[in-house]
Amino acid sequence: MDRSAAELMMQRETAVQYGPVPHSLSGEPLAEMSWQMLGGAFLLRGEGEHYFLYRKGDGVTVERGPDADVSEESLWLNGSVYAAVASLNGLLPIHASAVAHDGRVFAFSGPAGAGKSTLVAALGRHGLPLFCDDTLVLDLSDPERIVCLPGHKRLKLRPDAIGLTGAMPQEKVSKTVDKHYALPATGEVGVALPLGELIFLEERPEPAIMPITGAERLVRLQDDHYTARLFDSARKFDRAAQFAHLARLARQIAMARFVRPLDRDRFDEGVALAARHVAQP
Amino acid sequence: MIVTAMAALAKRTDRFSEADIDEEIVVMMLDTGQFFSLSGTSAAIWRLIDGQRDRAAVLASLTGAFHGEEQAVTKDLDEFLATLREMGLLVD
Repeated sequence: MDRSAAELMMQRETAVQYGPVPHSLSGEPLAEMSWQMLGGAFLLRGEGEHYFLYRKGDGVTVERGPDADVSEESLWLNGSVYAAVASLNGLLPIHASAVAHDGRVFAFSGPAGAGKSTLVAALGRHGLPLFCDDTLVLDLSDPERIVCLPGHKRLKLRPDAIGLTGAMPQEKVSKTVDKHYALPATGEVGVALPLGELIFLEERPEPAIMPITGAERLVRLQDDHYTARLFDSARKFDRAAQFAHLARLARQIAMARFVRPLDRDRFDEGVALAARHVAQP
Repeated sequence: MIVTAMAALAKRTDRFSEADIDEEIVVMMLDTGQFFSLSGTSAAIWRLIDGQRDRAAVLASLTGAFHGEEQAVTKDLDEFLATLREMGLLVD
């Protein structure tokens, strides 16, 4: 199947090699669990002496010091490093998990713990395949539409979410993360698709889905997730350009609010509502 | 400064960015990054401030658009113009 130019670029730019890398881009010492972005390059330091360097055109180089936790490496590569590579190449990573239906992507966003992964996994039981987990990368190169790149991360679920969703559990994510990889019940979609709707998850006593209109769409796009910080650092928009960027997204992305109780006994009720919403013509 | 009744109303376009989103106009102040949204009468007034129309022309257009509720429209117009002047968004 043909892959989009953005997908091919990401495949090329996220190719990993191993070797020594500089331990700072700016000259300032880089603390553990922090990053620097400078002149088209990105340097991340994980725990201990575990460094990840990306330079445009050169791909990613990983330096594993003696105390590097290798079990965390794929999490860094698929998390901050992938989002930084996307951002430095004009793509927009957002904090969302998504399913696909009828050639469009329906993405669910919310803070950590809002239930994004659990919801998209459970939508698999309603015949909706997974599109991505945790990070959705948007290709904005066509001014007329917003296209989503298929997910690059494996679905991760907490132990209690495995039973709720019907996903098939796989190995533990890492020594320190209390999640398992999982296979969604209806499989995954691996092709780029236009974005159908961005749906924000909130907790309320009764399940409901309501459209978001007007200025609130723009407000909703102001995110403080690490993906947004990486994009801001890469693009270096001034206020006017940042506003124009958000306004374009607000105009082109249909949005809704999905409210439901975070109550295991009513979980299926909320999932069924979301499934009907996604499947409606 | 005295603004005459015949002076055309013009926005300080160097001080804001704006975008139409659905039926609303979102305006962002470039000096602070804060933004606000306009709808209904205020959005209609904002659109009519084009550097050509003076207050009377804006009022006439509004009165036509809002079916002759002149007293209420006049109040809305003057209050909104005062707010825009306070915010430094109108050319003096």
